[in-house]
Amino acid sequence: MAVSPVKIWRRQKEIRSLLHQRGNILSWTVIYAPSDEFKKNAPYTVVLVEFNNGDRAFGQLVECETDKVRIGMPVYSTLRKVREVSHEDVIAYGLKFKPSHHEKS
Amino acid sequence: MSFAQIHILQTNIIYVILLQMISVIGYYTTKFGELWEKSLFDLTEEALFGVLKESQIEKERIDAVFFGNMLGGVLENNLHSPSKIAEIMGTHIPVFRAEAACASGGAAFNLAYTYLEANPGKTVLVIGAEKMTDYSPEEVISALTAASSGEEQESGLTFPGLYAMMARVYLETYQYSAKDLNYVSYKNHYHGSLNDRAHFRNKVSLREIESSPLIADPFRVLDCSPISDGASAVIMTSDKKIISKREKTMKVLATEVATDTISLKSRNYLDGIEAARIAGKKAFQKAAMRPGDIQVAELHDCFSIAELFAMEDLGFWKKGTAGKRISLLETMLGSGHTLTTNTSGGLKAAGHPVGATGIKQIGEVFLQLTRQAGKRQIKNADKGLTHNVGGSGGTAIVSIFTV
Repeated sequence: MAVSPVKIWRRQKEIRSLLHQRGNILSWTVIYAPSDEFKKNAPYTVVLVEFNNGDRAFGQLVECETDKVRIGMPVYSTLRKVREVSHEDVIAYGLKFKPSHHEKS
Repeated sequence: MSFAQIHILQTNIIYVILLQMISVIGYYTTKFGELWEKSLFDLTEEALFGVLKESQIEKERIDAVFFGNMLGGVLENNLHSPSKIAEIMGTHIPVFRAEAACASGGAAFNLAYTYLEANPGKTVLVIGAEKMTDYSPEEVISALTAASSGEEQESGLTFPGLYAMMARVYLETYQYSAKDLNYVSYKNHYHGSLNDRAHFRNKVSLREIESSPLIADPFRVLDCSPISDGASAVIMTSDKKIISKREKTMKVLATEVATDTISLKSRNYLDGIEAARIAGKKAFQKAAMRPGDIQVAELHDCFSIAELFAMEDLGFWKKGTAGKRISLLETMLGSGHTLTTNTSGGLKAAGHPVGATGIKQIGEVFLQLTRQAGKRQIKNADKGLTHNVGGSGGTAIVSIFTV
């Protein structure tokens, strides 16, 4: 189902403050049976992260092999495309995570 | 009115409240499964008239209907179901729909109970129904995510995924492996093989479970309840004349609801379901019972980990021990232990038409306590419990029954 562009706009205002933050994985899974919208990405890893300031967020983990994922692993947040329902829709950008050893110092 | 008269009046009111008994007097369920010939309201109609016939109650005796359904609006553009039910029944009585994701049935039952508490001498019909197999699994998975937070949806999480995240924390905290979860499906499929209304009637081996395809790591297909169609209904009354005329009745001692954050990320802990713990504690207090008193329980095993959580959250087993104790199969029919769980087959084998599940659980306990459970009958059970959970634990309803 299409997501209203106004909702995407509201969400992006929240996302700004969550970008480029470091934290650790609280839990994770790999989704093999997704909904229609995420079908072309499957299988993909989703993590729940606790940032160093105590806030928590969900997002997909990118640039990491699934057998390397562990609870407690340090990651950082980055801006990536999260939704593209059809060519007509506004593309939604949001949070994804990368392993911290990929971070450029 | 004198003070003395007021005192007598008050005493009488208290007396009436104390004596008020609310009982389930009948149950009917359609078969659960892929029922391509039947629509949501075909199933609803079958369960409505089925339970009236089973309970030998004329529809004119029903004072209100409570309907549990989750997906009619999302999948079928089908809301205002109360009016559709009035049309099917040919009635003008109040009909209400309750929605609490997979706990919609339990929520409808809880509301019906509070309606009877407020209206002595009335009789209500409580029905739960869901039609899921008209759509592709991907569409249904997407519709079910409506019961999670926006952020969870945006990250591509599914319900198996949310429970998998909780399972991961539990397995790691208490040092179990994914294989330790397999006994839940093994037991519940055996129970389902004895239930002619169950979606799956086949037994599964531990090897089949651990080699089935991955759905959301660490869950495999055989850790997950299926997408099912079905409808279940009970009749519940506070009318003493109706209760006294019947042999097969089950008293409702407690039905308690607790809620929690919709998003997993805001929970106090991830290795259990706090709403279920709270609802369970309140229900045991109200029923003046302890976990050890219960002989039959229907637990919300939407995923294998969920039955382990239920055993710990409700106080049947100590925190962190379920991963070991489940392998002893103490809660399986014929084990000879005090408590047997999910004799219907649970959500795993009996099927999980989400709105119907909470009512089917109550119906299964009714069949057990009134000795109508056939091949899966437990001997001498007279105290039962149901545990119905919505979403990833945002709503939980625990009810306790006796005969």
